[in-house]
Amino acid sequence: MALQLEANYSKKVGLPGYSSHQFSLSLKSELTDLNQVPAEAARLYRLLQDGVDSSIKEIGWLPEAKPTNGNGHSNGNGHSNGHPRNGNGNGAQQPNGSSEAWNCTPKQQELIIKIVDDNRLDKAEVEKLAQDRFGKGVKQLNKLDASGFIEELFERYPRQRNGNGQGNGYQRQNAPAR
Amino acid sequence: MIATVEPIATAKPKSIAELRQTVSASRLNTWLSCRLKFYFHYVRGIRKPKTAALHVGTSVHGILKLWNKARWRRQPFTVEMAREQFDTLWQTDQAQEKVRWEQGEEADEKQTAWSLLDLYLKRSPIPPNEMPEGVEVSVEADLAQHGLPKLIGIIDLIRAGGRIVDFKTVGQTPKEEKAIHTNEVQLTGYALLYRANTGKVEGGRDLHQLVKTKTPKLIVTQQGPMTQPQQTRLFRQMESYVAGLDRQDFVPSPGMQCSMCSFINECKRWS
Repeated sequence: MALQLEANYSKKVGLPGYSSHQFSLSLKSELTDLNQVPAEAARLYRLLQDGVDSSIKEIGWLPEAKPTNGNGHSNGNGHSNGHPRNGNGNGAQQPNGSSEAWNCTPKQQELIIKIVDDNRLDKAEVEKLAQDRFGKGVKQLNKLDASGFIEELFERYPRQRNGNGQGNGYQRQNAPAR
Repeated sequence: MIATVEPIATAKPKSIAELRQTVSASRLNTWLSCRLKFYFHYVRGIRKPKTAALHVGTSVHGILKLWNKARWRRQPFTVEMAREQFDTLWQTDQAQEKVRWEQGEEADEKQTAWSLLDLYLKRSPIPPNEMPEGVEVSVEADLAQHGLPKLIGIIDLIRAGGRIVDFKTVGQTPKEEKAIHTNEVQLTGYALLYRANTGKVEGGRDLHQLVKTKTPKLIVTQQGPMTQPQQTRLFRQMESYVAGLDRQDFVPSPGMQCSMCSFINECKRWS
């Protein structure tokens, strides 16, 4: 009986101007013996990774850089809002403190950062929450994860009212859709 | 000319331009079932009191959301806790949105809703220790490259392995083929949303249908990932939505669905 081995390799790379691009390759291979799995898996991994890496270098079109917005977040991979942070106190601007690109949308990224800032949350705690719920760090959350994560943050840290007591300080990326 | 009687309540009407920017599965379904109903609900923003069936559905969904969230947070959620939450939710939802009850109907409907939940919590095919990938997750997919509006939606549950689950409360025992057909827009839309937001193909698409028969039933209908023809059909339906909005094509579609429609009086006045 032929055994089918299906392999997928995907890579997402952050780009300037809150952009990112990603590329995935999948292929199926047939085996005749279970003992062939380790060697074949390693071969497919290398093959797919080489294929993705050689293609993903082509960045293609990029949106024009946007000006810095009113709340002090600049575009690009970092931001500066001047708020002191809880946590490690090193002034790093993002919940997990590293400079790699985020997997979620720029709007989701901004919203997560805003909730963290406004509630003066401990970055390590926020990172732990993401790990606990999704098994990955905040920056590794994809768009779907980030949507659930933002909802979770809203439930834990209720939205702030603005000065006249109306509305709230946050706007979800997606309005309810029903 | 579209003339209507005085609405009972109104939501903020949406402009055609606004409606062209985004579309959800439920809005598209309304469009496809009757464009005049779509006009009354979305363009005019007319709101009618919630039906009993809708209130049952909302309450059941609300408790299933709590059950799924509890598993996600690894918190306990017993049947007793569910019952307590259900009693509260049944009232708080009505405080927010009035329900159109017939004489003596509410107690029976509440019992029906709880029976469905009790059955599901005891017989769900989802293991109690299975961690969801997402619960009531609000997502969108940019389809501008296809010349289509942004697709938006809320997915009830995404199980481990990317298995999309939609919960339904239904009045009659569904036949599998018909259930898949009638929920095609929604399930294809969710698959598109899942792919756009994760970069992965969904593990499958399941309907968990709770049937409001005398003895409640749970019918699980499973489908594989979205196929290319299904995606094409959805895109064609969305194209029809955009073109129809541009023409302001709000003609009625008289048929079986009118027996359930709350805009029947407004519809009769249309000419």
